[in-house]
Amino acid sequence: MSDRSNRLTRRKFLVASGAAALAAACGPSATPGASASAAATASAAATAGKALKIGVLLPFTKVYAELGNSMKRSTELYLKQAGGKLANRPVTAIYEDEANDPAVGLQKTQKFIEQDNVDLMMGIVATPIAYAVRGAVDSAKMIFIETNAGGNALTRDIANCTPSCKSKYIFRSSFSSWQISSPIGDYFATKKGVKEAFTFVADYGFGTESAADFTQSFTKGGGKVTGSLKAPLGSADFLPFVTQLKNQPTKDIYSFFSGTDAINYIKAWNQLGMPAAGYRMNGAGFLTEQDVLKEVKDLANGAVTSLFWAVTLDNAENKAFVDAYQKEYNLLPDVFAVQQWDGLKAVDLALQATKGDTSNKDAFITALEGVKFKSPRGDFEFDKTTHNPIQDMYIREVKVQSGQAVNVIVDKIARVTDPGKPTT
Amino acid sequence: MTVEVAIQQALNGISFGALLFILAAGLSLIFGMMDVINLAHGAFYMLGAYIALAAVQRTGNFWLALVLAPLLVGALGLIIEPLLLRRLRGRHLDQVLLTIGISLVIVDLVGLVAGREIRSIPFPAGLDRSVPIIGGDYPVYRLFVIAFGILLAALFAFIHRRSRLGALIRAGVDDAPMLAALGVDIDRVFATTFAAGAALAAIAGVIAAPVFGVFPGMDVDALIYSLIVVVVGGLGTLSGAIAGGALVGPADTFGKVLFPQFALALIFAIVAFVLLLRPTGLLGRVRIAR
Amino acid sequence: MRRGALIAGAAVAALALVTFPVWTSEWESSRYATTVLRDMLVLAILALSLDLLVGSAGLPSLGHAAFFGAGAYAAAVTMARLGSDELLVGLGAAIVASALLSLVIGLFAVRAAGIFFLMLTLAFAQMVFAVAFQATELTGGSNGLPGVRRPRLLGLDFNAPDALFELVATTFVVVVLLLWRIRTSAYGLALVGVRENERRMRALGYDATRLKLSAFVLAGAIAGVAGALSGWSLRFVSTNDVGIGRSIEAFVSVLIGGTATLLGPAIGAVVVLYVERVLPSSIPFAETVLGLLFIAFVVAARQGIVGVARAAYARARPAPARAS
Repeated sequence: MSDRSNRLTRRKFLVASGAAALAAACGPSATPGASASAAATASAAATAGKALKIGVLLPFTKVYAELGNSMKRSTELYLKQAGGKLANRPVTAIYEDEANDPAVGLQKTQKFIEQDNVDLMMGIVATPIAYAVRGAVDSAKMIFIETNAGGNALTRDIANCTPSCKSKYIFRSSFSSWQISSPIGDYFATKKGVKEAFTFVADYGFGTESAADFTQSFTKGGGKVTGSLKAPLGSADFLPFVTQLKNQPTKDIYSFFSGTDAINYIKAWNQLGMPAAGYRMNGAGFLTEQDVLKEVKDLANGAVTSLFWAVTLDNAENKAFVDAYQKEYNLLPDVFAVQQWDGLKAVDLALQATKGDTSNKDAFITALEGVKFKSPRGDFEFDKTTHNPIQDMYIREVKVQSGQAVNVIVDKIARVTDPGKPTT
Repeated sequence: MTVEVAIQQALNGISFGALLFILAAGLSLIFGMMDVINLAHGAFYMLGAYIALAAVQRTGNFWLALVLAPLLVGALGLIIEPLLLRRLRGRHLDQVLLTIGISLVIVDLVGLVAGREIRSIPFPAGLDRSVPIIGGDYPVYRLFVIAFGILLAALFAFIHRRSRLGALIRAGVDDAPMLAALGVDIDRVFATTFAAGAALAAIAGVIAAPVFGVFPGMDVDALIYSLIVVVVGGLGTLSGAIAGGALVGPADTFGKVLFPQFALALIFAIVAFVLLLRPTGLLGRVRIAR
Repeated sequence: MRRGALIAGAAVAALALVTFPVWTSEWESSRYATTVLRDMLVLAILALSLDLLVGSAGLPSLGHAAFFGAGAYAAAVTMARLGSDELLVGLGAAIVASALLSLVIGLFAVRAAGIFFLMLTLAFAQMVFAVAFQATELTGGSNGLPGVRRPRLLGLDFNAPDALFELVATTFVVVVLLLWRIRTSAYGLALVGVRENERRMRALGYDATRLKLSAFVLAGAIAGVAGALSGWSLRFVSTNDVGIGRSIEAFVSVLIGGTATLLGPAIGAVVVLYVERVLPSSIPFAETVLGLLFIAFVVAARQGIVGVARAAYARARPAPARAS
């Protein structure tokens, strides 16, 4: 049949042209012939002064784009202040979009490792993506400073490494969700004398972890969690949930939401007159971070949250950081910018300790483990066992200052360290 | 659940249903009247919301957006239909691909121009209070949404049942050449209908923005909700969107609260359930395929 | 004579594809190119299976990722729970899970047509997504399922990146051959008949519902295989694999490449993934480019890339060969 032979002809044509298109598509670096060896030379003297390539994986599209943009600004500001160099090595930052998809994040990580030959990697906002690349980063012995995703497992010893576990190559400059959710539970029960609380969180990894950690420490401190409610991530309408909250007796509500969910929740909370009815909004810090407050303004007044930073934090580094950021971008920085900033600072200091050498991974890791510096959030250091930050947790309250809604620090829980293994 | 709470949740459900209807109205118009699958509906909705954001930021006037957004987005629809969509009459798969493409372009450009931050619009002055209703205070804005929905529904019912325009459009879908032979400029009618559908999507964007927020990815959420409402209510009729909103709104609200473990799947379970019992939706009629 | 040459040509092309990592090993970014091509081939298999529904049977499914994800989770979870590394165990689990799921969903969905079918498949897929998201014990929930073990077959260990690529590429070639046989068989032609005019097919005595359902299950099973390959490739299964984004990716790949053609969906997958994942590294407007690409295809090239290629080929060839 002539039809069948025609199809075969086309198939051959199309497969061949497809392969050719793919070959052309792989970019200028995909040329056959002699290729530069990817292995760095051993001696420190040879790598000092050589370009430092940092692969930065952040979301620039989809729902977390704002965080990615903020962290990119922070990176560029830090590098600008450092004259484009860390430990006398000129820095090339290569940005890629994680697009809120683990498959994409993994592919970009592979690009950093196999095509760009980066010296180290930074970034990742979404926890599932961090969990997805953990294995690849660990096998490739790629130093990775994780600058947002707070899933507890990433810096803990977990049986079967499910959903994830720590790696000696992975450092985290942000937080573990336990650090945000557990100390405040204990604080409420013991120091603030709260007897009963009700939890209302977003129904996904971060939310459920937060509720569980809060419940555990609050109960251990003598409090009682009288009930819980969960809203699907990205819920359009919060009125039904707040209606349920208003029709139960416990006044202290502990919540975890962020971004649009937090904004819509706070608006619904006010619409149904919760403050007037005596209900108090408490929660993990992201509930009232700057990205939320700039939209809800004074609607969140009085909300008590826990986080390792607030824009009003009164120390020299934070003042300098906030001033510099505002001068450069005409915007207030947010906690995500701080996380990225501190990650770069840690890299900077570790590089100085190894005199710019990144080829000896173990030495670089030891250097990172040893960094201690004053960050906008206070004293910063990594826990040597988990590579998670040891940091102060602040209890903050939302107030309006100079016409802007901000988190004002009312108390502090000093030197909080993640337990390093599961607690629940 | 006490009676008081039930009434409050019922109000929540009705106002959510009204929002869903307003959201789906434009899609229903284009589906029902033109037999065109417009997957750019979410993008038009998003445009309307961002126009509202700009209007409120610059002038502080929310109602200005309610006039401006449909005009601007309707004009866009008036350009798109003759330029790109007209050649695809009856070709559903092509319409899907084209409108997805249009949606991608609009959404990316909005992100590039307006930024990708998460934004919110405050409730307009006068409608930001809450009034006492059985059981507690209820937000006035939600009551406004219900009223707006009823108004829009009445308008739709009128167009569907009574007006010459409605009959004209339906006739054009059934037999365009005949209608053209009778001297009606069917191309102009279709272009206007598409523009009206786009304008309605933009209006929905303005009205829903204070409730749902303005953020990257809002177009996909809106499109999915709209598809659900239109299909559940019944394709092929304008009142389908009304029925769809009236069912999905309260069902989703009560479902989320009564069965929280299934909250995510619930709304889709409703779709599947309705379509299995009544394959053309609640009020739908089968359209004879050519 | 010409036929023999064509078969040989196709075999060479297939061989070149499967041995891609070998003959590109001198390239500087050979490993990365291999992983990109691997991911493209996985999506290609998914798109090819979807075209069995869209192109052959005329069933526009917007929920096909449900079976992809089901296969991915089934393969990963079964191999982990049974402690087995056997390829056939994983593949078997993937096929059984996705075929069962597509049977259940298909029983309901094929009663509908057109936009209703689209919505039903979308609704069911979103329900599967919700289950995957909530069932944290089984699927890892929103955090995903890490540590997926790569399989072994007898002596072959697919842990090495090149070996896994060869597995994916070989599966791709097998699927193409399978679909080619189906399309040219009586069964395949009957499916097209149902797409063109279901009423007439029923009048002729064909059980249209059974035809559609069997196509749905077959397509679902192949999608499940693609899902298993995806889990092994990424060593990770996430809820994104079962979500609407993945379904739409497959759908537009089919449309762009050319529906109801043998390789169109595969080519569409390559183009879509290239614009979605490789291009953004160089330009900031990648989504706009993708959108414009879709618009351009609808306006200028209705039959997709394959249609364009065919037209160009037909123009380039001299006339006499057409007479028969």
